[in-house]
Amino acid sequence: MITSIAWKNVWRNRTRSLTVIAAVTVGVFASVFALAAINSSIVQRIDSAVSEELSHIQVNTKEFRSSSDIHGIIPEPEKVAGILRNTPGVTDVTGRIIVRGIASTPAGSAGVEINGIDTAREKEMFTLYRKLIPGTGSYFGADTRLNSAFIGEKLARELYIIRYILSPESFTALVEKGVPAAVAEKLKPLEGVRFTTEKKLTEAYSGLLSAKEIKKYGLLVRETAWSYREGSRIILSFLDMNGNQTGAAFRICGIYRTNNDFFEAMSVFVPDAELRKLTGMEDGVYHRFIAKLEEDDLTDRVTPVLKEALPGLEVMNWKEIQVDLAMIADYINQIYAIFMVLILAALSFGIVNTMLMAVLERTRELGMLSAVGMNRRRIFMMIMLESVFLSVVGGFAGMAVSGIVIGITGHTGINLVKYSEGLEAFGYSAHLYPTIGADFFIILTVLIVLTGILSAIYPARKALQLNPVEALRGE
Amino acid sequence: MKVVEINDVYKTYHDTEVEVRAVSGVTLGFEKGDFAVIVGPSGSGKTTLLNLIGGLDQPTAGEILVAGHRLSELKPSELIDFRMEHVGFVFQSYNLIPVLTAAENVGFIMSLQKWPKEKRIARTGELLDAVGLSDRHNSRPSQLSGGQQQRVAVARALAPRPEFILADEPTANLDSKSAETLLDIMEKLNREEEMTFIFSTHDVRVMKRARRVITLEDGKVVSDVRTNHTS
Repeated sequence: MITSIAWKNVWRNRTRSLTVIAAVTVGVFASVFALAAINSSIVQRIDSAVSEELSHIQVNTKEFRSSSDIHGIIPEPEKVAGILRNTPGVTDVTGRIIVRGIASTPAGSAGVEINGIDTAREKEMFTLYRKLIPGTGSYFGADTRLNSAFIGEKLARELYIIRYILSPESFTALVEKGVPAAVAEKLKPLEGVRFTTEKKLTEAYSGLLSAKEIKKYGLLVRETAWSYREGSRIILSFLDMNGNQTGAAFRICGIYRTNNDFFEAMSVFVPDAELRKLTGMEDGVYHRFIAKLEEDDLTDRVTPVLKEALPGLEVMNWKEIQVDLAMIADYINQIYAIFMVLILAALSFGIVNTMLMAVLERTRELGMLSAVGMNRRRIFMMIMLESVFLSVVGGFAGMAVSGIVIGITGHTGINLVKYSEGLEAFGYSAHLYPTIGADFFIILTVLIVLTGILSAIYPARKALQLNPVEALRGE
Repeated sequence: MKVVEINDVYKTYHDTEVEVRAVSGVTLGFEKGDFAVIVGPSGSGKTTLLNLIGGLDQPTAGEILVAGHRLSELKPSELIDFRMEHVGFVFQSYNLIPVLTAAENVGFIMSLQKWPKEKRIARTGELLDAVGLSDRHNSRPSQLSGGQQQRVAVARALAPRPEFILADEPTANLDSKSAETLLDIMEKLNREEEMTFIFSTHDVRVMKRARRVITLEDGKVVSDVRTNHTS
């Protein structure tokens, strides 16, 4: 009966209750959706860090990560590789030789980390090959020459291998893609002009198009003007085992695009045989072994086992290499909970206010209830249930709306390309696919019910302080 | 058999610097089956006396015994239970729960007392029949006239079979016809169920029906007359 009265009391003043419920709904939706978007960004970042850049565990000599000394080769590589392969949870192992050097073209140069890799094995272990930009070649295919390099888009830009040119064909393509002929015509003064960066191209067409046209067609123009000549070459130069300057021209077999500008700018991949030949390193020696695990969750369990098994070497998992990501991954739920507690605390003020008004309006009725024998516990319970109903209805509505919107945007994605430069500088994707775990909704439900209970305390105390005689006299 | 015994009861209120003696040395007793009214001018202490009898307020001095309970010895939580078990209240402004139907209002105290559902429904039906509202089970208070609401209030007060009913100005907000109907019902219940009714009122119509008229002035009983009226 108390539950039934409390529920009916919620709807006595529909407008007021609906206003509070709407506030809770919007508050919960906004915060859940924001968290889902942030979560997706972090999940995508971790996923790409592990699957494209780091894998789960890396092993090298203790000084190699800081010194990058070409002589920092792993002793007894066969034995180390064997230990790695035989450790439960490890599914795949590969070795790399890594040298620091300079990548250059006639137009520019940049410091890079040159990774000599077993191209076939790395394709099994990493998904970087999927990040190949269409039209830029391929990931070390069977027909790829030995002196080939797979480089990042950021590096390609720095070396001016990628340019932005609006050729006569580009104008035809733009019209075919839906750009009005009149708009394409406005861009004619840019025909044949080579822009070394996307920013310079944007600045140029911004002077020719209206703001509305830039917003609508800017991305298409940039995509169409993106130009790369297949088979371009870069010079990679570095020190060999004898400390002599060496290097060679490498033909770019393909360009990859990730969400991590730093990785794109730094990491060059070449077949290890070619790098061995140039550096004078023997077959079978490596600077780094990389181990892939069955599941991400095994990382914390397998790492100490390998650290014990390989005492003379530096064994680091992805969390230790990317400390910032690991911290976020470990504390993400606590961060979300704190965020939600703050949002719900703000919403609770609205609920307290509504409940207080409800109590003050029902002074006489509460006096009557006390007079006819409704004890303090039941009166408290009734007020508390009303408050919980308000928060739970709003909270569930907010969660339902969030679930729907997250479901849709999780499928379609949210395009933050406008902020891609900033996001990708920190390794985060400009395309978000919001996602949040079911366990978060369980925590949220508990928090919402708690909000309802805590919001009821002050109004309920007011109700309990009423003297029935005075309350019955009151208007 | 005495249902209520009031022995030399005083009730004093302290209103800022003024001391108001609302009830002053009242000694009274009410028998089972009484149909009594407490009358007197405004401020004479009628409602205060009713509140003291009903355990809503505590006397400053003296003692009140209801159904063997010495009210001054009960803790606040025990007083709430006492009211639920032994006293039926009818208020001047009905005080029904607006979100409940007539039947739910009548069954409310029984549900607090955890009556079995079947018994509660049966008793509710019986009482709504008795007050002439058998066709208004599902009506909300806002859908009932003042007289009908007060009849529901009477049925609610009677539902848990209390020792007596305290009715504070029950006809004050009713038109003549509604007041007469309500009084007819209460008289009938008094006669048939031997339910004790104690009213406070200004209403001559109620006084005319009463078998006992107690007059208060300045908190004191100035007369206690048993009339010849038989219901």
